[in-house]
Amino acid sequence: MTVAKIKAVAREIRKHVIEMAYNAGGAHIGCSLSVVDVLACLYFNTLNIKPKLPHWKERDYFILSKGHACSALYATLAERGFFSPALLKRYMKNGSPIAGHVTLDSLPGIEATTGSLGHGLSLGTGIALSLKNDNKNSKVYVLVGDGEMEEGSVWEAVMFGGHNKINRLILIIDNNDLQIIGKSTAIMHSHPFEEKLESFGWKTVSINGHNINEIIDACKQTGREKPLAIIAKTIKGKGISFMENKLEWHGKSLTRDDYEKAIGELNKIP
Amino acid sequence: MRFAAIKTIYENALKNKNVYFLTGDLGHFGEKEFAEKIPHQYHNVGIAEQNMVGIAAGLALTGKKIFAYSIVPFVTLRCLEQIKNDVCYQNLDVTLIGVGGGLIYGPYGNTHCSIEDVAVMRALPNMKVVCPANAPETEQIIKQLMKIKGPTYVRIGRGKEPMPATSYTVSFGKGKIINKGTDIVIFSTGTILEEAQKLVQMLTDAGISTELINLHTVKPIDKNLILKKIRTRRAIFTIEEASLIGGLGSAVAEIVSESSKRNLVFKRFGVNDLYLKEIGDQNYLRKKHHLSAETIYPVIIDKIT
Ligand SMILES: Cc1ncc(C[n+]2csc(CCOP(=O)(O)OP(=O)(O)O)c2C)c(N)n1
Repeated sequence: MTVAKIKAVAREIRKHVIEMAYNAGGAHIGCSLSVVDVLACLYFNTLNIKPKLPHWKERDYFILSKGHACSALYATLAERGFFSPALLKRYMKNGSPIAGHVTLDSLPGIEATTGSLGHGLSLGTGIALSLKNDNKNSKVYVLVGDGEMEEGSVWEAVMFGGHNKINRLILIIDNNDLQIIGKSTAIMHSHPFEEKLESFGWKTVSINGHNINEIIDACKQTGREKPLAIIAKTIKGKGISFMENKLEWHGKSLTRDDYEKAIGELNKIP
Repeated sequence: MRFAAIKTIYENALKNKNVYFLTGDLGHFGEKEFAEKIPHQYHNVGIAEQNMVGIAAGLALTGKKIFAYSIVPFVTLRCLEQIKNDVCYQNLDVTLIGVGGGLIYGPYGNTHCSIEDVAVMRALPNMKVVCPANAPETEQIIKQLMKIKGPTYVRIGRGKEPMPATSYTVSFGKGKIINKGTDIVIFSTGTILEEAQKLVQMLTDAGISTELINLHTVKPIDKNLILKKIRTRRAIFTIEEASLIGGLGSAVAEIVSESSKRNLVFKRFGVNDLYLKEIGDQNYLRKKHHLSAETIYPVIIDKIT
């Protein structure tokens, strides 16, 4: 798919994210907008998947470890053809399976339950280890938040991946420097990630997480000896001017006005 | 309840430099002033709950009084062994404040709901377990905890719990009679009190003299009060927004089954032992788990007639 087409898909995903949040009456918005471009690149370029055969044995895996950004994942899966976008209306609604955090078996294409931060990389490591032992070529991509990197469990998985040279494991850090109470760099000195991950035996690539070419390129950098970490500089709330880099849009409810303004901005993108 | 909790801790921290508040990157409930005015007593330890509880225990080893705060699953189960070894085994002065007890995080899925916490925390030696029903109860309990040492778990709601129609006081460890009655008794804990009150109204309207007792303190449980009710009432029911396994209902059942009373009608209402595949808001999920006043009422009628 061309870069222009991926950009157009990303715009559609963002529209879904806004509609879903508005419909749900309060959900994680900024967190989801932050990861849209990475998800669009993964699902429309990188991942070897068959949307009509979600359990295809040769597929690549993707785990959204920051499971609160689930609306972006659901919208991406819908756009990619795993299920009808009409299902997105049931996001966070009574009686629906589609929760405000990623839940296994709730929709086709979801590989693991997340929502409690710091679990995804271990889950992905287990999947990657199994694939490696079974001589499969599939890769496992795990997306975590930079705030999530404060969880010790993430570093336990990092250590294991490096030590065991899990070369098909790809960690993507959504590095938007915001979490709930403030800036990640102010709360905990877990940045910079590059040196730390390299000292644990990982290869690292640092990119602009909203640049389609850079994302696609970085995903190709897997090697034979080491797991790969992509540190993607992103903007929380990306794509909606009044949400960008605003802490409160982590999970604020949209008013009718906000909703119309947001959709209006997205409609202006060619 | 979040505002009430943080405000009460803050007011006490202003008076006592040994009172500390730790958060695992959760808040926006009035803690800004706390962080600015007395920064040594407020720490956002980051999204790292195991470390938070370990640090809490370390601070407590030097005589500090700690309140550690996060969403229920993250401040109870995520860091369970830190709670067991660092806090409970060493019997340290650490209070865990869990926000969003029960099904209130329903639309967000089961990672954020908490039905196991009461049973698990209750099983830890030295741990005290309190489930306030509303903001005034939260405030009173936290004030009382300032004078009580040792490990405590306080399970609060998320903010929309109704204020009591008339104000009342609660004392840690003592059941609170909310509604007087002479025939049957209902024990409730936590924010589901509002549902229990609806239920009592329905039963009273049907001519059944129903007593409602708020057992906010699940551990140590008010055994004397329960024994008294076992002797003097013909039916006992428990209601909680937590798993049927191991919570308030189990605590009362342990006392009932070891008492010598025969012919007592007894039934527990709680969250079923399963993770629902569907999500929904608190009211929706209460109905699904047969925990709403409307779903409990016919069961009680059937049991006592
Ligand atoms: C174990 C755990 N602790 C706390 C939370 C509550 N929580 C949800 S999102 C969030 C901030 C996450 O920050 P980051 O990983 O940077 O994600 P982003 O803000 O970019 O969405 C927190 C603390 C959680 N979901 N899981």
